[in-house]
Amino acid sequence: MILTRCLPLIWLFLLTACAGRTLYPLPGKGGKSAKLPIQTSRPYNIAHRGSNGEIPEETAPAYLRAIEEGADFIETDVLSSKDGVLICFHDYTLDETTNVASHKEFADRNRTYEVQGSNKTGFFTFDFTLKELKKLRTKQRFSFRDQQYNGKYPIITFEEFITIAREAPRVVGIYPEIKNPVLMNQHVKWPGGKRFEDKVVETLKKYKYGGSYLSKKWLKRPLFIQSFAPSSLVYISNLIDSPKVLLIDDVTILTEDTNQTYAEITSDVYFNYIKQYVVGIGPWKDTVVQVSNNYTQAPTDLVKRAHVHNLQVHPYTYRNENEFLHLNFSQDPYKEYKYWINEIGVDGLFTDFTGSLHNYQEWTSPLSETSKSPRQLLGQIASLVLPYTKA
Amino acid sequence: MVRSVISMKALWHSEVHNEQKWAANMKLVRALGVFAGGIFFMRNYDCLPLLLLSLLIAECASRPLYTLPSLAKAGTKKPLQTSRPFNVAHRGANGEFPEETAPAYMRAIEEGADFIESDILSTKDGVLICHHDVNLDDTTDVADHKEFADRKRTYEVQGMNMTGFFTVDFTVEELTTLGAKQRYPFRDQQYNGKFPIITLDEYIAIALDAPRVVGIYPEIKNPVFINQQVKWADGKKFEDKIVATLKKYGYKGSYMSKDWLKQPIFIQSFAATSLVYISNMTDSPKVFLIDDVTILTEDTNKTYNEITSDKYLDYIKPYVVGIGPWKDTIVPVSNNRLTTPTDLVARAHSRNLQVHPYTYRNENQFLHSGFHQDAYLEYDYWINKIGVDGLFTDFTGSLHNFQELTSPLPKLQ
Repeated sequence: MILTRCLPLIWLFLLTACAGRTLYPLPGKGGKSAKLPIQTSRPYNIAHRGSNGEIPEETAPAYLRAIEEGADFIETDVLSSKDGVLICFHDYTLDETTNVASHKEFADRNRTYEVQGSNKTGFFTFDFTLKELKKLRTKQRFSFRDQQYNGKYPIITFEEFITIAREAPRVVGIYPEIKNPVLMNQHVKWPGGKRFEDKVVETLKKYKYGGSYLSKKWLKRPLFIQSFAPSSLVYISNLIDSPKVLLIDDVTILTEDTNQTYAEITSDVYFNYIKQYVVGIGPWKDTVVQVSNNYTQAPTDLVKRAHVHNLQVHPYTYRNENEFLHLNFSQDPYKEYKYWINEIGVDGLFTDFTGSLHNYQEWTSPLSETSKSPRQLLGQIASLVLPYTKA
Repeated sequence: MVRSVISMKALWHSEVHNEQKWAANMKLVRALGVFAGGIFFMRNYDCLPLLLLSLLIAECASRPLYTLPSLAKAGTKKPLQTSRPFNVAHRGANGEFPEETAPAYMRAIEEGADFIESDILSTKDGVLICHHDVNLDDTTDVADHKEFADRKRTYEVQGMNMTGFFTVDFTVEELTTLGAKQRYPFRDQQYNGKFPIITLDEYIAIALDAPRVVGIYPEIKNPVFINQQVKWADGKKFEDKIVATLKKYGYKGSYMSKDWLKQPIFIQSFAATSLVYISNMTDSPKVFLIDDVTILTEDTNKTYNEITSDKYLDYIKPYVVGIGPWKDTIVPVSNNRLTTPTDLVARAHSRNLQVHPYTYRNENQFLHSGFHQDAYLEYDYWINKIGVDGLFTDFTGSLHNFQELTSPLPKLQ
């Protein structure tokens, strides 16, 4: 009797119990502070285009692998599709790193355009909608690297790249490049008169990126915005306060937007000007330490002068293969890392082999555990000092 | 008062305890003594020129009052490490210098090699030299020497016809006029033509002169071919001459004995019969080299399967302390990826035989896919996963780096 009357109540109780939320957050959705933070005590390990030594560049697996291997930042180049979607891709043509050539339906998209003063022919990213780009599959650029993933992975969007970083089990920073902005703005028009740079910043803000270098906000979502075009960096300086890095090409190349020479943009006068907008520079490493007969020479004063202006230096690009290692490094990439980190004193390194750099850093400058108690720390200091005390 | 005592102590310490200062001071004291004596004699015997002359001679010719550090007894040299796999500098540091030259060996020692490795061949006049190939074409500038143009010959070596300039057709005097060159075009070419071929004696001297204990790892190379082409007086064979040289320099003692630790050595060969032949002449540890799966042994025509069988390992075990296989036979490779390891290392270890595979190289064309063009990952795999006891490497510095970073030797108390 009582039971039948209470039946609705019982039913309601069961419903609530089964549908109700747990009283604590699920481990998978743990608070952001539970993630291992980004290290800031030794030079940054920047996974150049992901772990592209092993997996085709700028694909999801390349980035996932880089995170697995210990990257501090995953780096990418942002370009645009025909319909204005931001994608992660290095070349403005698809020929070297995708199987576009085997797609007969796109055969007529082979075009010639003028890029930075010279004519280039190929399949340009801005002649393909995102849907069409997604039909292609990437391939490993260098023939001497692992070819087994060719044709397996698609190009990803900038948003997908950001998601990979955000979903990492520890705090992983992103390092997107505003790539070929002059070319992008020539060929792609966005509604509302927005420019390529606007769209990049918009996307970053959408995912809550922001905050000056080493601020609390920045440490939660670390970010460097890089570009070879200083005017783009200046343009976005009002839009977002995230740290920016000016990339510097070889000594013979002029900047794509302002036609300035290497000598100009590395002068003290220019550093004085640009340091209001950027926290660092990203030079090609063979201009920082010149090379002769495949041997490195005495370093230039570029790093010293940059450091005097409080500008970080993140040279590119470090690769394991002996064809890229100058002879005084005895075909040993760890020797190269040692030289650049200890003798030249750079603040970050763009590397194709994030695992090797991570290994090197872990062996020679392991991060101190943050969970040591004061007593443990004192004990550690004592054991370090002991061998040097007089017998 | 205290101040001056301290400064006196400091002065004493810097003038007496500092070796160079002490030597200089002793010279000064001697000079003063001779000078004083000279003055005395001069005043009494009036022969100034003679005295000044003898003063000069005495000063310049005098010996220091203590043993020179470099002649100090051998017991002060830093000993060979035996707690982690041996770093064997394959043909010296030939990643950087032309192989088997003096600088290649000295660089290897500088970089931390435990052993410097060499291949022994012979000249026409029976002198033992350090050289890998039986012919000189790939590693010397013999082609530029017009005076030797007529020495080009064809011989049968291990069942195959080979044409070139053979070491056995040159006297040692002629050979040393040649300049060694870097075998691989992708390695440093700047030393080509600069360094000569060295003899076994010179190679041993480099090891013995090292500032720490460095072992040697000579190979009895192509003994069948050498014994065919070179005849020594009193009917001695190639193997006899090698052992005689080693003994001359005091190499003796079984593995890990006191004698061996003072002058470590492994004698290696692809020819088991040579190792068996010398087993009565020297108790130095020997290592049996094993070539690729398709190659037959040069002396007994046995197959890979035969010489790696349990039966054969049991047979060879009394004569050798270990085997030196080609690493791609221990862990076979398919499409440039490592496949499942064979059980060769396990079977060798169960017989207490060491395994020293060859050859580890930094260049990416030699690194299989799973190592991501990182030689240190290869070292990690072979040392920690496969568990080898020694590694023949072209890049001694890199292996030493890896070992120092991941398994540093215990600090001396």
